[in-house]
Amino acid sequence: MKKRIPDPKKIIDRIDDLPTLPRTVLKITELVNDPKSSAKDLARVITDDQILTARLLKLVNSSFYGIPQRISTVTGAIVLIGFDAIRNLLLTTSVFDLFADRNRKNQQKQEKFWDHSLGCAVGAKVIGNYLRHDSIEELFVAGLLHDIGKIVEMMFQPVEFSKIVAAISRENILMLTAENKIMGYNHAEIGKLLAEKWNLPAKLVQIIAHHHQPKDAGSFAMEAAIVHLADIFCRALNMGFGGDNTIPPLDRFAWQSLKIQTSAIESIMETMQDEYGDIRSFIS
Amino acid sequence: MIRVNIVDLKPGMVLARAVQNQQGVLLLDAGTKITKKNIRIFKSWGVNEFSVKGELNSPKTGGETPEAEMRDAVEMELKAKFSDVMNDPVMVEIFKAASKQLMKDLPKIENEKENSRPKKNYR
Repeated sequence: MKKRIPDPKKIIDRIDDLPTLPRTVLKITELVNDPKSSAKDLARVITDDQILTARLLKLVNSSFYGIPQRISTVTGAIVLIGFDAIRNLLLTTSVFDLFADRNRKNQQKQEKFWDHSLGCAVGAKVIGNYLRHDSIEELFVAGLLHDIGKIVEMMFQPVEFSKIVAAISRENILMLTAENKIMGYNHAEIGKLLAEKWNLPAKLVQIIAHHHQPKDAGSFAMEAAIVHLADIFCRALNMGFGGDNTIPPLDRFAWQSLKIQTSAIESIMETMQDEYGDIRSFIS
Repeated sequence: MIRVNIVDLKPGMVLARAVQNQQGVLLLDAGTKITKKNIRIFKSWGVNEFSVKGELNSPKTGGETPEAEMRDAVEMELKAKFSDVMNDPVMVEIFKAASKQLMKDLPKIENEKENSRPKKNYR
């Protein structure tokens, strides 16, 4: 058998049509990072895009934010949920769009992957809330993007991907193990490269790269541990399908560093289920 | 293998045979675990009969209720998923909590169903 172990970086470079973020999102990221920009500046860019506008209003009015009154203007939404939340929302929906409809054949599988990502995102948010973490929005996006490398494999490396899928069932191994065995690298590494290519914040890059071994995420080990735990919770709750038939082991370091009482698991999961149902209705 | 009607189809059941619409287009492959969304889609396609994995616990003779069967199915499936990690006491807690949540989800579906359609009678 011919064996070639390509360098993941080369793979990423080779994929010329690897999705890039839409200009509106780049513009918005720029504005969010610029301390001089106002809610009005941001609103102008968003209102140029009807779909983004509709999504934004739908989200702020969903129970995800739990705001009692109805928000009907983009400026109102921005003032209410903040610049970072806006950027994250737009990042979220754009990433979904980027990967949608590209490959009909994998569509069902892909939808399940997204459900898994969404479950993990909701989990990261709920765990973050429980721990009173200060950037819940970022945790949500991190959860959403943690397995982005798998989507890249599915769409751009179909041959390797089908070998991986076959190996998982045949040898009863985890996806990560199968990937390392077949490709010599895994979805966390691919995801990291893509996140870097997109110029995502270092925190997101580190979480994506180390969601299986949170302590390697350095100063973002806490956030990586949250996403790691959320990943396990959402699998346990049957939210989508992340490629594994069984649940991967819980990282000792992650669990100990989060200091979550076992008695709290139940209420975290309950909140996760409620929020998952709610948010799915606006994204899909 | 059990044959079930759409009104008795529950999330978590595993398809024993592939589901096709009237035009013969594949909707869902055999071996797939059903979700709420799938059921919605089946309804919209007007597919009514399904073959799911499992044994018939003869509801005709007043054996286990479909609800109890569903609970067993959910529990079995969750156990299989956790099979490699049950030596970790924290994972055992996660398993218990997840099991409780998933069970809670079942009766809710039951109620929705009862509101929308008459319950199937078992003789």
